[in-house]
Amino acid sequence: MNVIPPEAIPSLSDEDLLVQRLRDRDESAMTLFYDRYSAALYGVIMRIVKKEEEAEDVLQESMVKIWNSFHSYDAGKGRLFTWVMNVSRNLAIDKIRSRQYRVGSRTQPLEDSAAVREAASPTFRPEHIGLQEMTKQLNPDQQQVVDMLYFGGYTQSEVAEELDLPLGTVKTRARAAIKVLSKLIR
Amino acid sequence: MDTQQYIESGVLEEYALGILPEAERAEVERLASIHPDIRHELDAIIMGLDAYAEAHSLTPPPAMRDRVLNGWQQAIRNQGSKENAIPVVPMAAAPTVGPATAATPPATPTATEPIVRSINSAPEPIREAPARSYGWLMAASVALLLSLGGNYVLYNRWQNTQSELFAVQREQAQFATVQQASQKQLETQRGELAVLRDEQFRHVTLAGTPAAPSAKARVLYNPATRAVYVDVRSLPAPPAGKQYQLWALDNGKPVDAGVLAASTAAGEGLQQMKDIASAQAFAMTVEDAGGSPTPTLSTMTVVGNI
Repeated sequence: MNVIPPEAIPSLSDEDLLVQRLRDRDESAMTLFYDRYSAALYGVIMRIVKKEEEAEDVLQESMVKIWNSFHSYDAGKGRLFTWVMNVSRNLAIDKIRSRQYRVGSRTQPLEDSAAVREAASPTFRPEHIGLQEMTKQLNPDQQQVVDMLYFGGYTQSEVAEELDLPLGTVKTRARAAIKVLSKLIR
Repeated sequence: MDTQQYIESGVLEEYALGILPEAERAEVERLASIHPDIRHELDAIIMGLDAYAEAHSLTPPPAMRDRVLNGWQQAIRNQGSKENAIPVVPMAAAPTVGPATAATPPATPTATEPIVRSINSAPEPIREAPARSYGWLMAASVALLLSLGGNYVLYNRWQNTQSELFAVQREQAQFATVQQASQKQLETQRGELAVLRDEQFRHVTLAGTPAAPSAKARVLYNPATRAVYVDVRSLPAPPAGKQYQLWALDNGKPVDAGVLAASTAAGEGLQQMKDIASAQAFAMTVEDAGGSPTPTLSTMTVVGNI
């Protein structure tokens, strides 16, 4: 058992090393993984399932799935962040679907004000672009569409039906919203 | 192929949102791998959504960390008991091979063995070979089990220590960041205080115009060093895409003194503006973000004479 020297502990930008250790099935790397990604994953999971206990379950299921299907992660295709975020997001969406949450609270995600959630975040994160800043750049229509697609697991046709809009309008809003988001970080 | 048209079609956004059927996903990946401009656009879209996801970050309650990590470990142990057995078997088998092979052909090497082994151990293998080898096996297995158990305990402890270490390091880094930020803020405020106390600075009160009667700000102007600071008490929030701009009026001619940062306009602190050689009055107007070469007089919000 090799004790890891302190200088080998990945810094926040050291994604490659973490990927390598996960590929080597190094279980202790999952602790590091948790410390690095749990806030991002938990935030999105909470945004979707809303309940702390369920979010905890989904977070743990995500870790199991990430560990088990790590062989299918292809670093050439994208960042680890994107991959793990999609795993968690899909599990969270599956969760609300399986419990038929949508019957009772289809529109609930939209009531959840972004500004309120921003204030709830207890961590000091000087490096990240704040949610408020991002949503300030989106108009409410765009945000509604992108949130339904990204956090609600709706297809574009479902969004069109739900909001009673032409499919083309939904597509335009989704594209415009994503364009704004990618411009912000370019 | 017209890649621009493909990019415009919206399929890349659908890919990034994860709402494309599998066959279309594969097609997007294939095209992205051969057209660099599609790859580039797709990367930008994904980064944008990632940033949006990350902006929702929410640190889980501290107690959740151990529960989730332990739950994860238990889950992979349970499902992996079959796979885990594979490394365990050869490990358990390997050490027993030594004593077992040494014991099974005891009759043949007896002639040579005494040369290496001690004298009294030489005859024993002939009579007590089966019992002895069994005893050895048992002892070795027990020792191995104990050692495995011990290793497991130590491994777990080591892992816990390591997680604790990571947590502490992380906390420390966070404190350092917070401390640095506070230090910086303190320095800024010391600088502001020095300006406020400096008697060379003239305090120019800017009062609201009829367009914004409740607006109020102050300019601190040092004619000797030409330094200009602005201190906002209250200004209406500028419309989207607009910014406040400060002007010095010198013999009736407006001279640009720079634009106000959003935090300054919100009254969060002093902001040093452009140096002004000579002025009799200061005024602020609302201009397009980035500032304008000439003031838009109709948007004048505050004004004051020295």
